[in-house]
Amino acid sequence: MTIQQPSRRRFLAGLGAAGTAALLSGCVTAGSSGTGSSEGAVTLQSNLSSPLAKAAMEDLVAAYGKQGKGRVSLNTVAAETFRTQLPTYLTSANPPDVYTWYPGSVADSYARKNLLLGLDEVWQSSPDLKRYSKALNTLCTAGSGTKVFVPTTTYWWGMFYRKSHFAQWGVREPKTWDDFLGLCDRLKSRGVTPVGLGAGGNTAWVASAWFDYLNIRINGARYHRDLLAGRHRFDDPEVHKVFDRWREVLPYFDPDGTAVAFQDATTSLLNGRTGMMLIGTFFADAAPKDALDDIDFFRFPVIDPKVPLAEEAPTDGFFASARTGRREQVFDVMRYLATAEAQETYIKGSSGTVLPCHPDAEDAGTPLVKKGRRHIEQAAELTQFFNRDSSDALQPTADTALTKFLARPGSVGSVLADWQRDAEKIWKA
Amino acid sequence: MAVVTASARKSPALAHGSRRARGPRRTPPLVLAFVLLPLLVESVWVFWPALQGFYLSLTRWDGVSAPAFVGLGNFREMAHDHVFLGAAGHTVLWLVLFGGLSAVLGLAAALLLQQERRGVGFYRAALFLPVVFSLVATALVWQAIYQPDGVLNHLLASVGLGDLRHAWLADQDTALYAVIVPALWRQIGYVMVLYLAGLKGIDPALYEAAKVDGASRRQRFRHVTLPQLRSVNAVVLSVIVIDSLRSFDVVWSLTRGGPYHSSELLSTYMYSTAFQSLRLGYGSALAVVIFVLAFGVIASYLVRAFREAE
Amino acid sequence: MANVPHTTAPRRRRAATAGFHLSATALAVLWLLPIALVLVTSVRSFDDIAAHGLGSRPRSFTLDAFRQAWVDGGQQRALINSLLVTVPCVLVTLALAAMAAFGLSRYELPLRRSLLLLMLGGNLLPPQILLIPVSKLSELMGVYDTLPALIGVQIGFGVGFYVFVLHGFMRAIPAEIQQAAVVDGAGPWQIFWRIVLPLTRPALAALSALSFTWIFNDLLWAITVLRSDTKMPITAALIGLQGQYVSMWNVIAAGSVVAAAPTVAVFLRFQRHFVAGLNLGAVK
Repeated sequence: MTIQQPSRRRFLAGLGAAGTAALLSGCVTAGSSGTGSSEGAVTLQSNLSSPLAKAAMEDLVAAYGKQGKGRVSLNTVAAETFRTQLPTYLTSANPPDVYTWYPGSVADSYARKNLLLGLDEVWQSSPDLKRYSKALNTLCTAGSGTKVFVPTTTYWWGMFYRKSHFAQWGVREPKTWDDFLGLCDRLKSRGVTPVGLGAGGNTAWVASAWFDYLNIRINGARYHRDLLAGRHRFDDPEVHKVFDRWREVLPYFDPDGTAVAFQDATTSLLNGRTGMMLIGTFFADAAPKDALDDIDFFRFPVIDPKVPLAEEAPTDGFFASARTGRREQVFDVMRYLATAEAQETYIKGSSGTVLPCHPDAEDAGTPLVKKGRRHIEQAAELTQFFNRDSSDALQPTADTALTKFLARPGSVGSVLADWQRDAEKIWKA
Repeated sequence: MAVVTASARKSPALAHGSRRARGPRRTPPLVLAFVLLPLLVESVWVFWPALQGFYLSLTRWDGVSAPAFVGLGNFREMAHDHVFLGAAGHTVLWLVLFGGLSAVLGLAAALLLQQERRGVGFYRAALFLPVVFSLVATALVWQAIYQPDGVLNHLLASVGLGDLRHAWLADQDTALYAVIVPALWRQIGYVMVLYLAGLKGIDPALYEAAKVDGASRRQRFRHVTLPQLRSVNAVVLSVIVIDSLRSFDVVWSLTRGGPYHSSELLSTYMYSTAFQSLRLGYGSALAVVIFVLAFGVIASYLVRAFREAE
Repeated sequence: MANVPHTTAPRRRRAATAGFHLSATALAVLWLLPIALVLVTSVRSFDDIAAHGLGSRPRSFTLDAFRQAWVDGGQQRALINSLLVTVPCVLVTLALAAMAAFGLSRYELPLRRSLLLLMLGGNLLPPQILLIPVSKLSELMGVYDTLPALIGVQIGFGVGFYVFVLHGFMRAIPAEIQQAAVVDGAGPWQIFWRIVLPLTRPALAALSALSFTWIFNDLLWAITVLRSDTKMPITAALIGLQGQYVSMWNVIAAGSVVAAAPTVAVFLRFQRHFVAGLNLGAVK
């Protein structure tokens, strides 16, 4: 028996292996089919994990509950966790119903795989959504023509600085690119690093803002969007022009720019080591309370007046899973989220640096926010940001390329060739 | 070492026993159950997903739609991927530097703290504390230490070594070596504990005999301590290889494999392709390479160790 | 030790002791420096850190960060979740590992060395490759987003290594003891329960403390099989304190001090057993 057992075992092992291979193709990859349950509260999976934003979301959920039409149960997870788990959430058998995320090509890619609930009914039946701008309408429409997203807040990017420091140094906001370079010169002569950057640590994506802005100022928003979608190449002469411009202002950059995370770069800006920084309004959350009134911004200087004015104004909002069993409840929640009241509740509870998407909703009312609203309204085109206009998978290629460029500005050619090669792997995947 | 002598004592008896018991020798069914039950648990939660993972390495998958079978295409791509080759080189360097230093320094710490004196518990706990402290906070602090205007550069400037100042984590030449320090800081306490146990097991009579024979401290170390630690070394080596190849947390939270792949290890490259670039097929292929590496190193050592002990 | 009052031996011994304490203290202080930095950060206010940076001299003192981490960050619940997961995991994993190690080391099972390598091999897999298959598996089994799923995967993933280590110990137990018990008519369960297990108790104590630490500090498996924030263990709750763009470092530092407390306590308590228990060949 001792002699027979091993060979029988081997035979069974072989059979098992064959059967395993047959089963494998099914198991891990089959997105579970079927819908979720239709009982209970609508589940909202949120990535807004900073304490203020979380509290604001809880206020929002409580306000909805007070209406008496249904309940929402809120689940907040860390932003990075949410990003890596989002595909798992959407393909699971009992997915969360509603998610915080952003619109554009990212939502579109999920919609193409039929993972998002069509929200045409919400857009048509809600009196609020009918009044949203055309730009927002297009943004929330998937390639197939259905609406899949409800936008609620938006923020903007700009060159932020401290008013008191500018006054101290005797400089003013520049209007054109040459003005801007002159400003940098004057700051440098005063011993201040003109341009701060926080592209170190885990926040290398901050550098992409420079690429985005130079691209939309030189080549226009449409070229920028097409490039990110893979319809142009990163080693095109247009992209070279972007980097040539960038080299003009590179001597004024903080040499430690790629060594510090953006939160530390904020500290440098606020205590006067650097003069200004191209960043989004969220950076105000990293500032101490007493500095908030001192913060101001100006538009990224216009380089070519013939190019239609475009600004980066990322929009945030919600979408829903196609597999939810609580369609009607989800529609009702979405309609509520699109109202001015909901957006005001959120803004009041959070740090107050975002703008509501509803045209009638009131923002926080500070001079900064009012200026921001005018800033966005004056733009002919709005882009979202590198990763939101392309995909989260393309962002690391930009991080690598731009970090390398900032360290070795002379090697633009090889940087762009590598970037194109890395990007092709993502576009073709 | 007690293990060696005990098993030497055991083998003649068992050899004698097995010679007697050639033929139907049934192991008690309870013992079979003892072995099969954990094996079953591990099979369900580890082997089954692992097989799926191995299968995924032969596909192209983005985590959402159905995977496309590409055979060995991922591995072919790997052979031409210069980031992979760089990461493989860094991983070998990591294995040697991090693995070697954690073994040597862990042993040194164990030698220092092996005697049960007053206060030795506090010192051992101090060295072990980084092992249990959450990485989120310690990564934060190490970033603060390595920043251009951080603690390390201030220290260098104050002792006059100002020209050695770097942006440690952002400089291509220093990033990998800079990350080894916090990784070692978190590992040495653990290796020290393993060696402390091994040193405790050395029969003091052996040291007495050596002293009587006139051996110096260094000779006693070389000829008594080191040979007796050989079985502990099997465990320590396995632990070090496993931890080196799985070293992911520290590197990821400090540099993410940057700047531009200069501190990229196979584990960080695998994570970034699987969960950032969303190329799960390629990521799984990288994981297979890591597994083969780890298994190869450990298995070859263990098989030799088993053969020696039998 | 005889008292030798007229020689330099006691003075030399005192000098040696002083030297030891000096060098050990220097090492300990160097080692604890980063952790001291975490403690300092946890008692600063957010505005202080934002205005002056993390590495600067502290200009404030407040315990509010601890309150925020405990209450707003939901650490109380997370700590309970962590304990609910860790304690059963440690008990079940070591029980299973002891059983398997017993079978593989004390009996002439065919293929026993291959089985041992196979079980250890499960521990060699990079966990990242298993993340998505495990989450799909837990869904299939209907336990996705439940603590038992986390317990299951931790047991499955840890048992291989402990079998390997315990196998080394149990192998060293002399065969005569077992044979004497067989002669006395003991079955395998009694040999396991009455003889082998008591002899490996020190090793089990040490391994349970180590495994408590590992399971308590695990992050990856928790975020893979759990979705609700009310079920998250303390490590996942800790990263949940980070915001989308901006993080409150003082709260996170305070949270990590709270998160470290149980594992440090366990280590200090079991510290004696670590050294004695991992002693290969403590069996005399």
